[in-house]
Amino acid sequence: MALKAASRAAWFLCLWLVLAGADPADIPAAAAAIAAATWTSLRLLEPSTARRSVRAIGQLVLLFLYHSVVAGTDVARRALDPRLPLRPGFVAYPTRLSSGIRRNVFTTLTSLLPGTVPTGEENGQLVYHCLDVEQPVVAELAAEEAALVRALYND
Amino acid sequence: MSLLGDIITIVAVSAGAFFFLAGTVGLLRFPDTLTRLHALTKADNLGLGLVVLGLLPQAASLRDGFKLVSIWLLGLLAGATVSQLIARAARQGESAR
Amino acid sequence: MTEFLTAAVGFILAMLALGLVSILRGPGDADRMMAMQLIGTGGIATLLLLGTVASLPAAIDVALTLALLATFASIAFVKKGLSSLDADGTAPTEPK
Repeated sequence: MALKAASRAAWFLCLWLVLAGADPADIPAAAAAIAAATWTSLRLLEPSTARRSVRAIGQLVLLFLYHSVVAGTDVARRALDPRLPLRPGFVAYPTRLSSGIRRNVFTTLTSLLPGTVPTGEENGQLVYHCLDVEQPVVAELAAEEAALVRALYND
Repeated sequence: MSLLGDIITIVAVSAGAFFFLAGTVGLLRFPDTLTRLHALTKADNLGLGLVVLGLLPQAASLRDGFKLVSIWLLGLLAGATVSQLIARAARQGESAR
Repeated sequence: MTEFLTAAVGFILAMLALGLVSILRGPGDADRMMAMQLIGTGGIATLLLLGTVASLPAAIDVALTLALLATFASIAFVKKGLSSLDADGTAPTEPK
């Protein structure tokens, strides 16, 4: 627990140094901010016991960037096409992630992926709004979920 | 080296500006709230991301580079949170009709 | 390079002006808020570009603050407006 707190405080210290710079006059403010941030983060997000693999996190980031660029280009093409080729609709995605933080992390991640916007839950399934329901949306979401589980929730 | 940096800047910032164009055009042309939300997420995610990527070679120091990336990550987090909330609200509004 | 980045600033600002049109047009409050969000992001991008072109480190700090505040504005909107939100402005005129 103390180790987790120390590692989070170290991350917040890095963030402070990046955003505010290193100035000896700032030390009291920095210490107060880091203490408050660490306390809040431990309170809202309990340390997870799952093993994290740096390699899997890297793969998740790469997959995320790849999906972003591919699907973002697709949306840009549709927006600029004079015929406006859209087949919008809802797609239900059955997720295996437990509800709560894990599912919220997944919906946050996928809401950034162009072409899908999570709009809530129905009967335990996530309901996504898509620009084109004929795209393989569910397969892409499944790939994203698998990568997320490998990266953070491998327990 | 600096030439390579400049090329990266020009390519990435142009691409970022293109996604801002696409996002704005989408916001104006797409037929309903939820589809417009898609267009918005694109500009947030890719437009800002590519502009930040393009500015990285011009950053004066490593710290400035990290700062640019942090701003992008904050923008991403904001966009992700807000787009979900708006989507939820918009869908409830639709099904209540 | 300076000329190119300045041109990019001009282009993104023009996009933001178009975004203002969609605030005017609406039709729903959610659409206006989305246009706001787009303008916020575009504003951040513009400030970052300007900060680099004019070597104004302060502009980058302003962009950082804007990134933080834009979140709160939108969350406040959704929290406040959730119950009374009409999705695309057509809801109130249609018979239930």
